[in-house]
Amino acid sequence: MEERKKEIIQTITDHFKDAVSNPYDGNRVDFTIPKQQIPAILFYLKDEMGFNHLSHISCIDWLEDKQFELVYILWSYTDRVKVFVHTRVDREQPVMDNIDMIWRQANTYEREIREMYGIRFAGLEAPEEFLLEDWQGPPPMRRDFDTYAYAMKTFWDRQEARSNAQDVRETIRRRTGEELPDFAKKYSR
Amino acid sequence: MINDKVSQKIVDIIQNFARKHSLWVLAYGTGCGAIEIPPTMTSRYDAERLGVRGAATPRQADVLLITGYLTTKTLKRVIRVYEQMQDPKYVIGFGSCTINGGMYYDSYNTIKALDRYLPVDVYINGCMPRPEAVLEGFAKLQELIQAGKADGARKYKENLDWYRANQKEVIPVWRMPEYNW
Ligand code: SF4
Repeated sequence: MEERKKEIIQTITDHFKDAVSNPYDGNRVDFTIPKQQIPAILFYLKDEMGFNHLSHISCIDWLEDKQFELVYILWSYTDRVKVFVHTRVDREQPVMDNIDMIWRQANTYEREIREMYGIRFAGLEAPEEFLLEDWQGPPPMRRDFDTYAYAMKTFWDRQEARSNAQDVRETIRRRTGEELPDFAKKYSR
Repeated sequence: MINDKVSQKIVDIIQNFARKHSLWVLAYGTGCGAIEIPPTMTSRYDAERLGVRGAATPRQADVLLITGYLTTKTLKRVIRVYEQMQDPKYVIGFGSCTINGGMYYDSYNTIKALDRYLPVDVYINGCMPRPEAVLEGFAKLQELIQAGKADGARKYKENLDWYRANQKEVIPVWRMPEYNW
């Protein structure tokens, strides 16, 4: 496996001068590459190196760097090696290339990322709405979206039910007259 | 037919007795609590002893069992389902998510108090409630039915404006008929 990993890293870095390989143990190979080369490297990995399976596309919000990171996770059935391809997209103008002509299932992941992070995929043919129905707020998975404040503003909250929460033992004691052990007393409010 | 009070009362008692022993349940299992329904219904806890059985469609069901959190998306469907059910109908809120939001209290798309949107007759607390608790909830509902106190459907009809206003607060795009039963 180590030989094969070295081979993969060698081939990719030969073909893609901008690809940087990050060291990882186990059956994982890891690259970082500028976003323009993503379709090229994915095509190459799939057609020339046998990484037939797209496991996932995941997204990370680097709020401090003002960037989104996209991770394409590929798997090869013959080599039993997985490849992670990382790329960064500008957070103010988040546009990425669509890759659903390579793997059809990418369409679903891209729709989800578009809805949850607000990243546009150029050429993605799919209805705007995916999981969220009639959503009017900002993309909810972005880190600058305050879910708690949004939930408090949007949904009526049963305040007392939380702040007066009783230890369940206390409730049982009041119902049945059962004696509370000492340690439990300090939890009942 | 019957218009004197005494015979009406006797009819009510018989009617309630019959109703409480034949509860057809429509389990709306979107929350994680739905996993406790199969053990409740099958041989171990055997809810059928109490006359509790599953129903296939809303129009055949008496009890709407809401097992856990409701997103605004599912709330729409639940409202349609509830309004399609025929009288007598009851709602059981199952799990702390229906009571005060539970562990989804800060989620961006789940409602936090079911009784603002639908009339809940019985709450079963716990996250998730065990089958014993579920059966206790059903026993409580039977008690209420026998006493004639499980009148959520009437409450809903009489205060439809209030419920609708609350529903529309969280469902901004209302593509449903205003009144559909
Ligand atoms: S109350 Fe607990 S088990 Fe039930 S839906 Fe909520 S989180 Fe899940």
